Amino acid sequence: MRTATRIAVKDLKLRLRDRSALIIGIIAPLSLAFIFNLVFGGAFDPTEGIAINYGIVDLDGSEISRSFTTVLEQIEAEGVLELEQFADVESADIEVEGGDLDSYFLLEPGFGQAVTANTPATIKVVGSVDSPTSTQIATSIASQFATGVEATQLAIATTAQVTSTPVSPEFFASLNGDPQSAAFSYRLDDITTATRQLDATTYMAAGMAVFFLFFTVGFGVLGLLEEERQGTLTRLMAAPISRASIVGGKAILSFLLGIISMFVLVVATQVLMGASWGAPLGVALLVIAGVLSAVGIIGLVAAIAKTPEGAGNMSSIIAVILGMLGGVFFQIGQSGDFLSRLTYITPHAWFMRGLADLADGAPWTAALPSVGAILTFALVTGALSWVLLLRRLQR
Amino acid sequence: MKALAIGLTNIRRMIRERSNIFFVFIFPIALILLIGAQFGGGVKPLIGVFVADEGQIAEEITDVIESQDSVDIRRFEVREDLVSAVERGQVQAGVFLPAGIETQSAAGEAAEIGFVARPDGTGPQLQAIVGAAVADVMKPVGAAQFASAETDAAFEQTHQVAQDLAGRAGGVDVEVSAVGEALFPDTLGQFDLGASSQLVLFVFLTALAGSAALILTRQLGISSRMLSTPTSVRSIVVGESIGRFGVALVQGLYIVVLTLIIFGVNWGDPIASVLLLVMFSAVGAGAGVLMGSVFSNDQQAGGVGVVVSLGLAALGGSMLPLELFSPTMQTVAHFTPHAWALDAYAELVRHGGTTGDILLELGVLAGYATVLFALAAWRLRIAITRPA
Repeated sequence: MRTATRIAVKDLKLRLRDRSALIIGIIAPLSLAFIFNLVFGGAFDPTEGIAINYGIVDLDGSEISRSFTTVLEQIEAEGVLELEQFADVESADIEVEGGDLDSYFLLEPGFGQAVTANTPATIKVVGSVDSPTSTQIATSIASQFATGVEATQLAIATTAQVTSTPVSPEFFASLNGDPQSAAFSYRLDDITTATRQLDATTYMAAGMAVFFLFFTVGFGVLGLLEEERQGTLTRLMAAPISRASIVGGKAILSFLLGIISMFVLVVATQVLMGASWGAPLGVALLVIAGVLSAVGIIGLVAAIAKTPEGAGNMSSIIAVILGMLGGVFFQIGQSGDFLSRLTYITPHAWFMRGLADLADGAPWTAALPSVGAILTFALVTGALSWVLLLRRLQR
Repeated sequence: MKALAIGLTNIRRMIRERSNIFFVFIFPIALILLIGAQFGGGVKPLIGVFVADEGQIAEEITDVIESQDSVDIRRFEVREDLVSAVERGQVQAGVFLPAGIETQSAAGEAAEIGFVARPDGTGPQLQAIVGAAVADVMKPVGAAQFASAETDAAFEQTHQVAQDLAGRAGGVDVEVSAVGEALFPDTLGQFDLGASSQLVLFVFLTALAGSAALILTRQLGISSRMLSTPTSVRSIVVGESIGRFGVALVQGLYIVVLTLIIFGVNWGDPIASVLLLVMFSAVGAGAGVLMGSVFSNDQQAGGVGVVVSLGLAALGGSMLPLELFSPTMQTVAHFTPHAWALDAYAELVRHGGTTGDILLELGVLAGYATVLFALAAWRLRIAITRPA
């Protein structure tokens, strides 16, 4: 054990001096998490500058059409979009073609009259071909307003039918309440906050950290193959050092590199980007288990590969496939049963799941099931690679 | 001629390496498939529905959601199961129909229907679908509540009347049209724009990863040995550039052709599209050769390459559509060649543009390529003539 530690410490000093480990272990995941956060985090943040520009062309000018403008202005006040009023279609078209406007709403003359007369009415959404997403959002805003109008219409028609009176000014005068209240027979509440999910920043920080972890630990165990090629391994074996100490030393080195990289990343993303990783003890357990599983899996590559280059390539392929399947770039498992089960053959998926379980101030014990699953990976692959690596050294 | 031979050797070396086959040919297609399956394409999003107690209204809402062609539903018996299914991504959204919708409706109260979606992906679209379905069923309820309040008639009676009238009322339609030469979404397939973002991402990634091969060529002394033969520095520099360019172009054409055949992706005007790919491959190759000349450690170059290519791809709109970028970020995005290439693809695919319409973008990309190649040639000349 002491020899193993000595080997690990010697190599650790070497690795810390070599910039490669620093780039892969810390700079790469940190800068990617930062860029992704900038791009994806900023897109929907109203304080980042308003991204969606809508116009309204109200050619009708009725009470109902004006109320639509009011609704849009309310949404504008929330800071989600920017609204501009246009007097005619031509000027709005020019703005859309010039790219200054994503889409505009058009209420043609007679809109209010059609609504009052309970005949078909139309809200037109005219979008730029370059802004399909913004146009889709505009469409759903218009649909919501249309639904409210329809509920009001139906309330009036139903009341008229029940009382057998024609819809007339006298009928409206006889009403006690406001028929628009019919639109409020329900509320559709977004209760997403009631679920434990990682926020986007933490998701990207954690995803990048665990993705690059599998490259970082390679600087340890894969070093065995380099020593084999350079001939230093033969010299080590000629010394009074057990094979277990040599393999153990490389494994400890991998583990230390992984832990250092993860620790720096957790702290740095928390301080610099505002990621919230959750209960420290739970995160620590997940990180330790995650690093162990990475050492086990990459150790297996070291045992099987023939050349250092082959090992490098094989470990990149494995790291990329596991990372992708494990959902470090985007959530896997939305496309039905098969993929959502397949994702759990990766420690990455369990790592992300464990962190999600820790979200919203859950106690550290919430991560335990995931920690257990990751440790199983670590144990199986670790034991297998230990045996295979020792056998490799015997040859 | 010698330059061409060096270039072709480079391409051959790349194709012989098995792990390159994976990253260049298998991985991009697998990713396009995965993303296609994820965000469009064949598999429908799944909405989980939890009904607290059986009732006519809850049943109707479930039926209306189920009747939507664009989604599938799965029923959950236990509320917590649905919550955790959303958390785990087993369903994309959850709808909670609480106990007592019936009695609340009859009493003129507002029922609270819960909706949960994943923060990423298709959440807003699913909310729109669920919202429309709920509105469909709850409109007659609201109308009946109003009518009952006005007339003292029983809720059951007014609800029946409202339901009968619901289909017959005038209604308000929302009609979508587009300004511009092409119409959407009819002409635009699920994969069309996603495919071009993946294309620029991978062509650039592969080109930068190629820098490792160039570093190895220098490390192993192949470059110096080539110099000792009657081969000019110029031939070697051009040859290495042709090699990187060829690899990028081969991969790009492969992605274009395969997605065209498998997914029927529309790549726009063929001549303009190929021209654009050639120009972008040149930009990637320039960046690859530059990296291969500046770095002398292939591990470092690999790490930096991944960061640079994924980072530029994210900033340039390969991972999130440029239209959703804030104005500041849009400006930042156009410092990357990716954004220019994607703008050009959008012009070709959405507006049915031809070469004449993307001259500006082609020009900018040509500018990038020229500057990068000039820098790369300068650095590579120094790197291979420097005594080791």
